[in-house]
Amino acid sequence: MTGYYSINAILTDSQKLPCTFDLTVPHLGYLEGNPGAPIKSGTKLELPLWLAEMLAVSNNGSGSTVLTLDMPPALSGRVLNALKADPKTLDLRSLAPHFYGLGSRMLELFEEDEVGEVLGETFKKRAKEIADHAHNPRGALGEGAEFLRGLDEEERQLFRAAHESAKAVRTWMAELKTT
Amino acid sequence: MALPLPPGLTPSEVAFLCEMELVTVIPRQRLESLQLLGGTTPALIPPYRNNIPLWLALLLKKQRRANISPPPWLTQNSLQAILDFENEHSSTFSPPPRLPPTSSSTSSISPISPPFLPSSTVDAPADALPYHWLELAEILLEAAPDDFEDADLVRRLCRDLRETRMSKLRAGVDVLEAGGGVQMNGVGGMEVAEGRSFITGVIDGLRKISASKEQARRERESDERENGYPGTQEEDEDML
Repeated sequence: MTGYYSINAILTDSQKLPCTFDLTVPHLGYLEGNPGAPIKSGTKLELPLWLAEMLAVSNNGSGSTVLTLDMPPALSGRVLNALKADPKTLDLRSLAPHFYGLGSRMLELFEEDEVGEVLGETFKKRAKEIADHAHNPRGALGEGAEFLRGLDEEERQLFRAAHESAKAVRTWMAELKTT
Repeated sequence: MALPLPPGLTPSEVAFLCEMELVTVIPRQRLESLQLLGGTTPALIPPYRNNIPLWLALLLKKQRRANISPPPWLTQNSLQAILDFENEHSSTFSPPPRLPPTSSSTSSISPISPPFLPSSTVDAPADALPYHWLELAEILLEAAPDDFEDADLVRRLCRDLRETRMSKLRAGVDVLEAGGGVQMNGVGGMEVAEGRSFITGVIDGLRKISASKEQARRERESDERENGYPGTQEEDEDML
């Protein structure tokens, strides 16, 4: 993502990932709620992306990693199949508030060409729908409310941008009439 | 980062630029030529029509000292023809007016960009929408509705045209790729201002999604450059 101080990047990195510890690590038990105790190898935990990434890529000298990452449930095969079938019906926000941010971070860690393609297609199809809703003033209240609630954070910004620019043109036209 | 305005021009800025366009007026009173920073305006002598900048024409119109004659493309027949064209061709916009033939002797200074082309005077081509069509139409319909033959019909056609073209612009994201672009020939200034933030937003989003793929491709390419072509490297190993 962009920028050290970008709030969206920070929130994206704080989303949880499922991961499995490969080693027994002493004094790390507070991660699963019993401080002081060691964390056993094979423990499954949900860790924030920034922490899990550091632990997964760090090298402790013996060649093995501290933990292995799994794909988050928001990018599971079931979700991808649903996105392939119809991108517009899914509530991305309930899957992950920063769905595309999470997706692109996962693509940095895993080589999953298919996920990238599905995400790109989904983004394009939904962007078109967003534009239609943004230009249609009834959209926010009427039949589109369900879809708009399911937008992830980036799509919300897109909606806001499209809506603001349409509104600016309408305001200009209204000002013409008053002066 | 935290600029109060989005990048690009706001609608009122676009409209301000549009006021530099030349329009044709039919004066009702004499007006001597004015020495202005932007050049000298022609002397207005009724009933001969002349071309003056839109802002001056609006001023004279407001003072009832001139009538504005709408450009030929801003008439019912032309707009209907252009609207038909837009509906027939679902993927392209109606083409912009052709550039005037440039004479070779003055080619270095011949005006080729919108505010310096006589695209909104009575001599303008009737079959194409110039760059500032939407702004000019809105302003003229507001300031001088009595100079149109049927202002309401023209207004309705303009609105239809705008809707059709905006929906095409939005549909353009279908063909977008992270590094690609939309064909935007013939799109007017106000339409660009309106569509800018959405289209750039979509491109940014797509670029973020495919950033890692792009990164991998770059690394592969630079590897190949450093090691020579992948094929030659194997040959080298064989020779060793």
